[in-house]
Amino acid sequence: MTMQAMIDEWYPVGLFSQLDAAGRGTALMGEPIVVASDADGNAKVTGGNGRVLPVCVRYGHVWSSLGAPKKALFSIPEADQTGRRFVDVGVVRVRCSPLRAVENFLDVAHFPFVHTDILGAEPHTEVQNYKVEIREDVDEVWATQVKFYQPLAAKSASGGITTEYMYRVPAPTCSVLYKTCPPRPSEWDVITLFVQPLAEDLCDVWPWMALFDDTTSLTDLIHFQQTIFLQDRSILENQIPRLLPLDPGLEIPTRADLTSVAYRRWLKRHNYTYGAQLVAQ
Amino acid sequence: MHPDTTGSWTPVALSADLPAGTVIPARIPAGSIALWRSESGRPAASANRCPHRGMSLSHGFVRGEALSCIYHGWSYAQAGNCLRIPAHPGLTPPQAIRVKTYPVEETGGVIWVAMGEPSANPPKFEGFVALRSLMAEAGIAAIEAAAGAKASPAGLVEPAESTGTICLLLSAQEDRQTLLHVLLKGEAGTAARIAASRAAESLRRKAEDLQKKGIAQ
Amino acid sequence: MKLYDYILSPSCYKVRLMAALTGVKLELRPVDFHPGAEHRGPELLALNPAGSIPILEDGDLLLTESSAILVYLAAHAAPEWLASNKPEEAARVQQWLSFSGRLTASLGCARLHEMLLRPGDIGALQAQGIAALRELEAGLVEQAERGMRFLAADRPTVADIACFPYVALAPDGGVSLDPYPAIRLWSRAVRALDAFIEMPGIHRLHELKPEPHIELGKA
Ligand SMILES: N[C@H](CCC(=O)N[C@@H](CS)C(=O)NCC(=O)O)C(=O)O
Ligand code: FES
Ligand SMILES: [Fe+2]
Repeated sequence: MTMQAMIDEWYPVGLFSQLDAAGRGTALMGEPIVVASDADGNAKVTGGNGRVLPVCVRYGHVWSSLGAPKKALFSIPEADQTGRRFVDVGVVRVRCSPLRAVENFLDVAHFPFVHTDILGAEPHTEVQNYKVEIREDVDEVWATQVKFYQPLAAKSASGGITTEYMYRVPAPTCSVLYKTCPPRPSEWDVITLFVQPLAEDLCDVWPWMALFDDTTSLTDLIHFQQTIFLQDRSILENQIPRLLPLDPGLEIPTRADLTSVAYRRWLKRHNYTYGAQLVAQ
Repeated sequence: MHPDTTGSWTPVALSADLPAGTVIPARIPAGSIALWRSESGRPAASANRCPHRGMSLSHGFVRGEALSCIYHGWSYAQAGNCLRIPAHPGLTPPQAIRVKTYPVEETGGVIWVAMGEPSANPPKFEGFVALRSLMAEAGIAAIEAAAGAKASPAGLVEPAESTGTICLLLSAQEDRQTLLHVLLKGEAGTAARIAASRAAESLRRKAEDLQKKGIAQ
Repeated sequence: MKLYDYILSPSCYKVRLMAALTGVKLELRPVDFHPGAEHRGPELLALNPAGSIPILEDGDLLLTESSAILVYLAAHAAPEWLASNKPEEAARVQQWLSFSGRLTASLGCARLHEMLLRPGDIGALQAQGIAALRELEAGLVEQAERGMRFLAADRPTVADIACFPYVALAPDGGVSLDPYPAIRLWSRAVRALDAFIEMPGIHRLHELKPEPHIELGKA
């Protein structure tokens, strides 16, 4: 329940493209904030009793923090690569822990049951072994060589393929995934989940993408990702308990869940426990 | 945790509302449960929480004699042991993976679930047929006040106005909600059954009014 | 026929579902409803000044009410989805088509509030939604007593398709479906129809497919 360790992190608080002078009232870890643009069109975030909060604008979103961020926002080098399309998918509110939302994003085993005939389909349910590590130099969780059979991996896919994924957790409520890019086999499509913790059991999720796809309309790209995320939403709102259990006794992982196990361990190690449940109940 | 209710039965649903091959949510004093019926027709009850990642099992699906979780498809036998983990098709799930189960009995069109080891069978209400269940935002006292009658120890209320044709089997839920199972005395025709359903709605309205006005607290 | 469509809109889903069930081919024109608010832009307002979707275009016919669109699709391709000439059945179809507008105004707005951060009095919207669900539950209980599994008859009609989406998605707006056994049975009957299609938030009935036989040791 401590927010100390997480208070100095950056969190997404809005789409840069939708800023206006009137401002939008929202919240960050229980504190009401207002996200607006100032006279020069720059993003401005104010917290309770009017204090001005740190701001940066990156990956289509405005980021802020209740504390004093010790590091710049994590980098996504692909965001500067020419030829990619950058897609603001828009906010979706979910009544769940921000940490549960990230953990779900790291999981492939649910594809056949939750994203049926899109990201997975029975009988192709097997999760083969993959590699997971905590990269100490950058202090990020990484999973690589995650392979899964997908009937319709992307809007640009034209049939079933075995897709390869890499997952990255660069911040407690953010994840970046890299997946096989059907039109450009030598590159990775980048899909992110930026999660704004409103409360320990409530979050606004801001998916964002950087894709190689010159043929699909922007609206179709948005709708593809919204479809996927809205399929997850009804799962996330029905997990018990709402908070993410960090006590290994409460939920049973298998080899397929090694990314989730590493994520939980990394959260615990850093005391990133806003949205977590430490003792089994 | 609930010493007064351990070993006793809760009427959770009507048999007709749980067809073969389906799962529904229900509630007993120990908490939320997944109530399901296998394809061969056998009812079962388990805790409504998948041991894997906590997904509520009442959102799952029933194939054959097993209940599967909608999240990753883990499936469970009626005894609660895990039968299958789709992510690892070759793996026989360890015995330690299981979901807590509860005893289930069906009598007179009502499904009963027990906590602990019940020493007796659930009550039988001879001569009654089940009509429908409905949830009231009212406590038992408000329902008794609306019915003008007290509940029997088995939870049966015979509303004064119903002249002995309707009975309500009550089951207290969380937050001053009560589940009412409407039972009819003897077989009745379509018109009488529809009238009884409407009478039950009126009684619920009256009980909820009383509850709101705080008369029955 | 061209449908101005949004994948997360239950009202647009009514039309996609009806088309799938009756075998009508639609040309879909995706609308960036969220985050783009394209339905309030000049191009769509010119078609529908009310600023809502779905919009169906077929030649010079322009329809902006989902109930009318359902009737149009059924009349075209599958008249058995309309009411027969029995007076009660015809009236019941109209009763539930009108009622479906209340589902949109209550459960639909609660969902937009809880999911896409639309302003609104969430307590009032949820209360209206619950009142509507209770009416639907009572109606379905009575239909079952008459030996009918659907809202207007013992076969599905446009009325069922008009009511199903907002009801099935009620939990998206924070309204539980747990207290409604008759709605649960009806919703299952709709989802089990041949050619039924899903939308995000309404999961596949996986039990309709047999458990796949997996060969062991292929890992
Ligand atoms: N005309 C009604 C409108 C349905 C409706 O409310 N559609 C929503 C999308 S699900 C909408 O367009 N809302 C406009 C808005 O919220 O701005 C119908 O066809 O049933
Ligand atoms: S949570 Fe039930 S199978 Fe994963
Ligand atoms: Fe997912």
